[in-house]
Amino acid sequence: MSLTSDEVAADFKDALLDLKVNSRPEISNLTIIAKENTEHAEAISRELENHIRTIRPEWKLPALYVLDSIVKNVGTPYTVYLGRNLYRTFMDAYTLMDPGNRRAMEGLLRTWKQPVPESLDKRPVFDSNVTRDIENALIKFRTVAQQALSQRQVLPHGLPPRPQTNPMANGPWRNTPTPPQNMPRYAAPNDPRIRQPFPSTPQYGQYPVSATPPIQYPAPISSVDLENLKAELSKIITNTKTAWALSPSDVSIQTKLKALLDLETVLKTQTLPPQQLEAVRNQIQALSPSPAPLPFYAPPPSIAPAVPTPQQAAPFPPASTPVNIAQLLASIKPPPTPQQSSTPTISTPSLADMLRRVSTPTQASSTPTAMPPFFAPPFSAPPQAAPSLPQAAPPPAPTPVADLASLLAQFTKPAGTPAVAHAPPPQPAPLPQFPPPQIGAPPASGAPDWLLNALKAMPNLPVGNMPIQTPPIGSEPMTRQVSATATASSGIELTTASMKQPRLHLVSRLYEAYPNLCATCGRRFESTPQGREKKARHMDWHFKVKDPDAAKRGIHRSWYIGEKEWIEYREVDEAAPEQNVNGNGGPVAAAKKDPKDKYVPVPADTTLAHAPCPICQEKFDPTWNVEANDFVWMDALKVNGKIYHATCWEEYSKGSGIVAPSTPDSVLGKRKAELASPASGKKVRAF
Amino acid sequence: MISLPGLHSSAVPAQPTEFTSTVAATRTQDLAANTEYRFEVSFSRTLTIKVLSGTAEFFGTELGPSTTYSFKGTKGAVYTWHGCRLEISGDAESEYVAEETMMMSYANAHFALEGLRDKAVQRGELGPRVLVIGPENAGKTSVVKVLTAYAVKSGRQPVVVNLDPRQAMLSVPGSFTAAAFSSIVDVEDGWGSSPISGPSPVPVKMPLVYHYGLANPEEGKLFKPLVTRMALAVTSRLEEDKVSRPAGFIIDSPGAISQGKGGFYDNIEHIVSEFSVNVLFVLGSERLYSDLTRKYSNRPPEDSISVIRLDKSGGCVDRDEVYMKQLRQAQIRSYFFGSGGDNALAPYSQMADFDDLNLFKTIDASEENSNFRSGDDGDGMYGSSAEIYERIAPASIIQNSLLAVTTSTANEKQDIIRDSSVRGYLYVADVDETKKKVRLLSPQPGQTPSNAIVYGTFPEDIPGLLT
Repeated sequence: MSLTSDEVAADFKDALLDLKVNSRPEISNLTIIAKENTEHAEAISRELENHIRTIRPEWKLPALYVLDSIVKNVGTPYTVYLGRNLYRTFMDAYTLMDPGNRRAMEGLLRTWKQPVPESLDKRPVFDSNVTRDIENALIKFRTVAQQALSQRQVLPHGLPPRPQTNPMANGPWRNTPTPPQNMPRYAAPNDPRIRQPFPSTPQYGQYPVSATPPIQYPAPISSVDLENLKAELSKIITNTKTAWALSPSDVSIQTKLKALLDLETVLKTQTLPPQQLEAVRNQIQALSPSPAPLPFYAPPPSIAPAVPTPQQAAPFPPASTPVNIAQLLASIKPPPTPQQSSTPTISTPSLADMLRRVSTPTQASSTPTAMPPFFAPPFSAPPQAAPSLPQAAPPPAPTPVADLASLLAQFTKPAGTPAVAHAPPPQPAPLPQFPPPQIGAPPASGAPDWLLNALKAMPNLPVGNMPIQTPPIGSEPMTRQVSATATASSGIELTTASMKQPRLHLVSRLYEAYPNLCATCGRRFESTPQGREKKARHMDWHFKVKDPDAAKRGIHRSWYIGEKEWIEYREVDEAAPEQNVNGNGGPVAAAKKDPKDKYVPVPADTTLAHAPCPICQEKFDPTWNVEANDFVWMDALKVNGKIYHATCWEEYSKGSGIVAPSTPDSVLGKRKAELASPASGKKVRAF
Repeated sequence: MISLPGLHSSAVPAQPTEFTSTVAATRTQDLAANTEYRFEVSFSRTLTIKVLSGTAEFFGTELGPSTTYSFKGTKGAVYTWHGCRLEISGDAESEYVAEETMMMSYANAHFALEGLRDKAVQRGELGPRVLVIGPENAGKTSVVKVLTAYAVKSGRQPVVVNLDPRQAMLSVPGSFTAAAFSSIVDVEDGWGSSPISGPSPVPVKMPLVYHYGLANPEEGKLFKPLVTRMALAVTSRLEEDKVSRPAGFIIDSPGAISQGKGGFYDNIEHIVSEFSVNVLFVLGSERLYSDLTRKYSNRPPEDSISVIRLDKSGGCVDRDEVYMKQLRQAQIRSYFFGSGGDNALAPYSQMADFDDLNLFKTIDASEENSNFRSGDDGDGMYGSSAEIYERIAPASIIQNSLLAVTTSTANEKQDIIRDSSVRGYLYVADVDETKKKVRLLSPQPGQTPSNAIVYGTFPEDIPGLLT
């Protein structure tokens, strides 16, 4: 408890020194230390920064994950302390890293610009000023690197440089419906903090993958022929089944089959919005052995927003987790958080690149997208621990690209490409079966990218003339994400990832949709005439139950009702129009006429309570009356302080012509709303 | 008539005896949008909260702006979507404003369920069947409350099922209850109140109650059969109840069933299959989530189960056994005496002969061997042949304990007694072994019921309920 900052920092440093791989327990442990010692946050932050700066490059990434974990799980004050030097910490490490790790870092940066995924705090992890500087530096860095790259090798896939569209449009815009969080993201190009190693160049606009238009407009609704789609799907399923029958032990086929079946279910049972259908169609077409899959990729931009938030953004899940396309589709949802054009240097890696990465699995080149970092690169995880990792890790933040692409990639598994080193079936070890070629692909540029990657995974495709870059993405009308949300809002997908997306606009359904508030209990009513009537009845009910003498009357707990009664019981809404649903006879009006249905509350006065009916000298039986919300004597009425059987009184009064009083409507008084028939609306006061 | 006139005076001890005269400073607390004010109040203190402006909700139930809510023995949070200003007075053991809450997730869960309910309305089907699971103190009940409150707010009438004996809903601990919620969830008093013989300021809820009588779900003779029974009742009700049917039901579960043995969750599976659960919210535990995702991922599409992990709210605090015991006592007290304040109830004290009571003691299998029995032989373990209860004569051991009055007669078979719902509870105030008399506290006057009365080991004795 009384440790000094130095001691705590030293402890922390010791623990840090042990961290050489991306080990989740260690990282959480360090996070816990940080969390428990927030009073020493400054010292710990300093230690962490020093550590990141001084360790060997290949160990920097785990340390950065510690930083990430701390700022996300603990937050302030670490965000403040670490934010001060974040630019330096980050860029120093970045420049020293190999490309794979850089990509992971970019992934980290992306998540820092967003709110903590599990939190409702809409503010980004780090202040936008902090991340913006880094981003600007990264853009320049990449441009330089790209230039170097393109000189060294012809563009990997013969990608011609993107025709210069609006350079600004290539900036770090994001396509999300959420309000801007770090709006003035585009700092002046000559930001003094940006270091000289990254000479400013106007060419960053040429970056194809980073190109995402700032705003997307609703796409023309595609006329997807659902039937065709289904037919096509079932064809694929049949094929897959055959394949599976041939090699039943092949987990990948099994997985694929499962995914397909799920997809089929989704198609059959749900009405998907057009954008999602479009995505499904594309996926199916990609899967189908169609000889010319290419044309379908031509209009990718319109699908962009439909790219789902993946469930498992990590390398493709091991056999034990069947791919759930349904879930994927279910989560088709625009990423709610800002996305960035943090296109990595090698954002379009060649097959060779991919191969290389697979063969060196220690390189944490996995999807460093928006997942909690410790899950992201399971490469370094010991094989036996691997299987549980991805599935246990619901990525809290969206990375639309990763999964569909890897899904596609897996489906289009070429026969003998070593890159797609498909595991021998039952073996969970080679977890990262597929090198995620989509790693660096920012969600913002989702569609082109995942398609691109998917195409790349098809080795027999003539990559050279991919039409992917032909439509100037920035100019193509795109489905605006908001509309996607709107269409899907009636059915938010029941997935873990979907639960985490902020949908503050929906809250109005709980509040603004019912503007008429009961000030006493907080119940809300619609602002319709019916709503007002309901509220009037509700207020009457409040008035009725506010009985200051209740305590004196010896109220007690009632027995619970039995099973059968409960099954037949129907709740009575105090605001609903009167109706005797629970067996008190017919409609109220009729009930009031029948003396048998008249009642009085069981009197609190003990002499009265034990007094029999003065006419027949029989006692009354208390029964629970829902309408009165009280125990009552049925077939009873009170005349001049005495309680009679209503039937007895009726017979008696017939002779003498006395008018029988009606059953009191409540303990205390009359109820406005009840008296007001719908026709005499005047009496219904609006509240 | 044996019943003495009600212990009207005893209603007063329900009031705080250690009422503090210190008028704590009234303060105002501004809450920004999407933040919550978390507080813990002990059982001996009272904290009052009033909304001055803006909107605020307590586990999903909106606070009425003209009402001052008072809390006692509560660990809770007032959340605001739009920002609000609260007027707070009284002593809290701890209080702070949290900016990171899980409410958006919970609201998303609600809206997702609403989508299913809309569909159910269109098709006239049964709505979502939700089960909330997770370890102890993960906030299961809070989530169930939020989901219920939002559903009610959206004009639905969901049935809520509590299968956690440690925490009562509309009854005493040790019971399993189900109730359809058509009216707001009570803010101050847990879930609200079951019917009383007078008006209630918050609409009463009509629960169906079964007596479980043990602290933890065991495998075998009681938990599963009661789950089955409850499922039968709830589904029968929803079969007919057109209002509640599309709203479906939400099940709260005990934390103990989420501690699987080697990824094997026998009781969860039982609940899922009996209630045909199709939405599983897993709170907190990643392992549980992963195990169940794997387990339920291969189901045929027509009865697929969505397994969704919700994060544990940072506001979840560990409730120690002392607090839980106090909470249980408060719930029992409130069963007999009301929740204090204006809602004081007057139970009746009555004497009964030993012979009047048909007492059945629950055989607590968990004391004997449940730890050694793996779940796989759980099926078929409970049959009419198994000994569930032993018939006992009243003895001093039952003093200060709760007795469940079932709807079954004493001559029925044991499994019928087990499966019968509960009419109410009696409290054994005194046992006089020489005179062979028992003094009982009964919620309402009348003869000592001749029904089968079950004495369980849980909840524990509550000495001094009458003092």
